[in-house]
Amino acid sequence: MNIRKLAWKNLFRRKSRAVFMGLGIFLGIGTFVALASLTAQMEQAVQDKLDRFGANILITPRTEQLSLGFGDISLGGTQVAHSRLTTADEKAIRGIEMKERLRSVVPFFLAAADASGKNLVWMGVPAMEIVAARPWWKISGSPIREKGEVLLGSEVSAALDKGPGGTVVSGGRTFLVTGVLHPTGEKEDGMIIASIGEVRSLAGNFRGVTFFEVAALCKDCPVEEIVAQIGDALPGARVSAIRQVVESRKAAVDQFRRLGLGVSAIVLAIGGLMVFVTVMGSVQERTKEIGVLRAVGFRRRAILSLLFWETGWVSLLSSVSGAFIGVAAAMLAAPLFGVEKAEAAFSPALLGVAIGIVLGLLGTVPPARRAAALSPTEAIRSL
Amino acid sequence: MDAFIQMENVSMLYGNNGVRAAALRGIYLSIDAGEYVVITGESGAGKSTLLTILGGLQVPSSGAVLIKGVDLSSLSADRLADFRRETIGFIFQAYHLLPYLTARENIMVPMSPLRTSAREKAERAESLLASVGLSGKEERLPSELSGGECQRVAIARALVHDPSVLLADEPTGNLDSTTGEQILDLFSRLHKAGKTVLMVTHNRANLFRATREIRLRDGKVAEVDG
Repeated sequence: MNIRKLAWKNLFRRKSRAVFMGLGIFLGIGTFVALASLTAQMEQAVQDKLDRFGANILITPRTEQLSLGFGDISLGGTQVAHSRLTTADEKAIRGIEMKERLRSVVPFFLAAADASGKNLVWMGVPAMEIVAARPWWKISGSPIREKGEVLLGSEVSAALDKGPGGTVVSGGRTFLVTGVLHPTGEKEDGMIIASIGEVRSLAGNFRGVTFFEVAALCKDCPVEEIVAQIGDALPGARVSAIRQVVESRKAAVDQFRRLGLGVSAIVLAIGGLMVFVTVMGSVQERTKEIGVLRAVGFRRRAILSLLFWETGWVSLLSSVSGAFIGVAAAMLAAPLFGVEKAEAAFSPALLGVAIGIVLGLLGTVPPARRAAALSPTEAIRSL
Repeated sequence: MDAFIQMENVSMLYGNNGVRAAALRGIYLSIDAGEYVVITGESGAGKSTLLTILGGLQVPSSGAVLIKGVDLSSLSADRLADFRRETIGFIFQAYHLLPYLTARENIMVPMSPLRTSAREKAERAESLLASVGLSGKEERLPSELSGGECQRVAIARALVHDPSVLLADEPTGNLDSTTGEQILDLFSRLHKAGKTVLMVTHNRANLFRATREIRLRDGKVAEVDG
């Protein structure tokens, strides 16, 4: 028999009280672990989507605004490019120090060219990379796969009165319309999308690139560093991170995390209060027992130790079970929050167990101090 | 030679808000080692208060209590707890065994804060159970024991640290006369083994076993026989 065993036996004697005390910690830790685990998975899912869908770095030629005028007469201005991008720049981009973080480097070429009698903007992109570069496009028909095929933006489709199966003539060549984009609200609506080689051919520029879109895998790396490395590799280019999308998605997850932390804090506070109330009640109820223990020579520290062991056992068991349930609940709920591949997150579970034990012990401090300070006189009067 | 237990002008007042009642008034007492003292008196005479003050469970309002030359008022709460554990064994009228522990475990309770091995503790408990005639009942809960058996377990628990003083508060008060006699026989045996026994009782039939009777009345020593 030692203090630990004495505490354990006492818990079994007061099972309902122990269950009530443990319930507060169980719910608190279960909620905390479920929300923390879910947030972590959502964060991962958002990042995975960012990595998988669309680019997050845009590379364009560096330009300057040049004012045109004569004396006080202003003739407007124009953008003057310092240099132009070419297909050779792709090699430089793929050669940066953090090259393993680059998922894709997609060149785009824009040119104005005739299309069945109308002068329109053509967007050239490697045919096989269209789906990866613009995963959000919805196409009536099918994307282009080979030379001689084009996609029409919704406005172009309306203007030319063409749809899938139709043809567009340009530079003496006939292109088959394989599909029409659903309206995107972007400039693509007014463009014809074709293989980059064909658009270059129409423009008579066989190595030109208007801009590159780079998709960097950046869950844990600073995208700014990749931007800086590409900037060093292409001194004449303007490299910018498309932060807005990343930040807005992260902001949504951050908000959810803050909400989760707030809810967890409230539930944990209630759990702590339940521990406090239960142990305080237990101390009141056990004044006689504490008197006996003091009479047989228990020091105040031994009384403290007894109560802390009791709460420690309950906290440990309820925290572990709460963490287990929290992880399971997060895995079950994950698909509802857009997480495609739910995984057990053990870090929040371990943190939850630690918090549960600390919470239980903290909730025990005031009543345990009260019990230890109980004078033998007061305790013995109840004998 | 100094007495083994000494009380000098000990008074104990209860109450507050200006209303105070005296449980003990100016008690002087001197008890030698190995005595068997019975403290008698009517209800409210201050017998139990005297016993708890002697056991260091209560601090008197005034006066000094010395046991083995140690002034209890000079000890810190923890030292007093150590002193109780090492020197004094308490036996209560209502036994006060922990109901969720077996007889063996109840005896081991005072040893639980100690770092002694579980095996040693269990052996000590079993040997004490045997000495009070309860061999074979180690695994019984208090609810499975008779009143007399519970009191034997309580006595064994009080003896676990081999204290020199046994303080018993009406140890036969809840027992029938036959069982009470058996418990008193046990106390006599312990006294013969060298223990100093102080027993509170209002049953004068217990007196013939004691070496001395101290009679209290209204918180004062009314009479000392023996």
